[in-house]
Amino acid sequence: MSETLAQPAASCTMCRADAEDFLIHEALLLDDLRLDEWLQLFTDDGLYWAPIDDKEDVSRHVALVYDTTPRREERVYHLLHNEFPAQSPRSRTVHCLSNVRVTPGVDHLVIDSSQVIYETRGGDASQVGLGEVRPLVARVEHTLRPVAGVMKIACKKILLINRDAWHGNLTFII
Amino acid sequence: MSTNVYEKPAWFAKQEQADPTSFLMQTDDKFRVHTRAYTDPSVFAVEMERVFAKTWVYVGHESEIVQPGDFKTSHIGLQPVVVSRATDGVVHVFVNRCVHRGSVVCREARGNAQEFSCPYHGWVYGNDGKLLAVSERREPGGYSERFEQPEGLFQLPRVQSYRGFIFASFNPDAPELLDFLGRAKTVIDRKLNLSPEGEIVLHSRPFVVRYQGNWKFQAENIVDAYHFLHTHKGFVQLQAKFGDSTGDFGVHKGGSIKAMRKLRFKGAAWDCKHGHGLLDSPAGEVESCLTGEFGAFHEEIRHQHGDEEFAWIIGKGAASIFPGLGLIHQHIRTWRPIAADITEVTIYPYELKGAPAAFNEGMLRSQERFYGPAGHGAADDVDIFARNQQGLAGKAVDWLILERGLDTDEKLGSDYRGLPASEAPQRALWREWTRLMSAGEEV
Repeated sequence: MSETLAQPAASCTMCRADAEDFLIHEALLLDDLRLDEWLQLFTDDGLYWAPIDDKEDVSRHVALVYDTTPRREERVYHLLHNEFPAQSPRSRTVHCLSNVRVTPGVDHLVIDSSQVIYETRGGDASQVGLGEVRPLVARVEHTLRPVAGVMKIACKKILLINRDAWHGNLTFII
Repeated sequence: MSTNVYEKPAWFAKQEQADPTSFLMQTDDKFRVHTRAYTDPSVFAVEMERVFAKTWVYVGHESEIVQPGDFKTSHIGLQPVVVSRATDGVVHVFVNRCVHRGSVVCREARGNAQEFSCPYHGWVYGNDGKLLAVSERREPGGYSERFEQPEGLFQLPRVQSYRGFIFASFNPDAPELLDFLGRAKTVIDRKLNLSPEGEIVLHSRPFVVRYQGNWKFQAENIVDAYHFLHTHKGFVQLQAKFGDSTGDFGVHKGGSIKAMRKLRFKGAAWDCKHGHGLLDSPAGEVESCLTGEFGAFHEEIRHQHGDEEFAWIIGKGAASIFPGLGLIHQHIRTWRPIAADITEVTIYPYELKGAPAAFNEGMLRSQERFYGPAGHGAADDVDIFARNQQGLAGKAVDWLILERGLDTDEKLGSDYRGLPASEAPQRALWREWTRLMSAGEEV
């Protein structure tokens, strides 16, 4: 036996093309409002998280979004089944992504990307707040873990560049 | 006065400048506010002088500036201010403007500083606002012997705090803070008394949202029991389906729409002197709080304050403290006017000192769920405010109707107590607004 503990091999990885395919698939599910399928991308204990300050303890700070599985399900249910002012009419989005990089790990991997999410609300474009295209700019970190041989999102962390500034309506999925 | 919402007020035909006393139509059975009170930029300019520069304005909480040298920036109307705890521990509020040529001297939202130096020409001020140094003062071509050197940053003449809430006023003749707060004090007290130590700490980063609408929409809305089942109908449906499983801690408890409607009719709505609107309702059923994960915590509060007061403390209280401070759920809210049709809202969730960490954390999660910009509640309100502002461009309709419950309001001293569905809290704002706007100070 060796005196030193062997470093565990960073065996959980994915090539950049596969990582991009994964992110593009997610982006299309969001842009096409196939949100029930989007839910299936996550692990059972997965987190959808948009912090205001990711350096701070989340148990003592609010985030823009801190969605555990029940809260993701609730958000998707709300968007798909309830009518409410902030999404009447609802948002249309296009998620553009680039700068994709994969960091392998032992039992998980991390995909970093830069994303620009364009959002607008349809309806009568002469109305206040409708018909304007608003860009959100973010660094996004996906932590993926294999579950029964399929890569799932254990955490999607979105760092908006203006996360600690004022916001408008963020009631769509970023 | 006419009974018709399309009726023009007297000044309309005669003069360009609106007469602020005519913005409120008030009779025994009517209480109506003129459209221009929300839309007119010239009215907004007058408000900055006659309302924001004349009354008390909340500028921060002592838990944000605990140590000597701690500061935070804030606003009184459009005027930027710094709230600073000086080296000797005294809290100063000064205008965030170098008295030389006007640059803001502090650009950090919060921090700790021994001094503030102006980046433009290097004038230096202490954390008490006093001018410490004029750079290159005596060099050739500098300031003469006769130079009247300013004392320092413009200090607000009145600064007082109540249980950590710091208020400031540009008006040396403003009443004592406790007189100004009046019955609104009870909401502050009950919110803070849910802490075993009677104190709150503003620890979390705040939510900040801007909307395209007048500031008074937010002041009215935070104490508007009438809108909840309509604006937030979607949330009520969500609550019926998901209950408290996704973060609520009983604050929106009610389950079915029917149950929530029933709950809504308990308690009272207040129209208080100095412009404060309040909603309060005691918890109907306290027993469930005394068991479970937070039973011991609640039992301690009940022990401290007695059964009757405990029901109020864990009930639902909300306040719109004139002109720009709100209390609801477990946060302090401020709204700051930027223009007649632009407002910034900041929500500071606070921790109850001495409460279980899991309770405070749960309150953060439940506020993300309802009050955050991605939440299922407050985003609907601000969407409505923008709709209101756009709708008011339909100025052919002169008046907004705010007389709901007027006939059932009961006068108690200088306040009015209404039934929970009364618009009494909204009327509080407009009575004080009209009083101040009519004072006729120079603008």
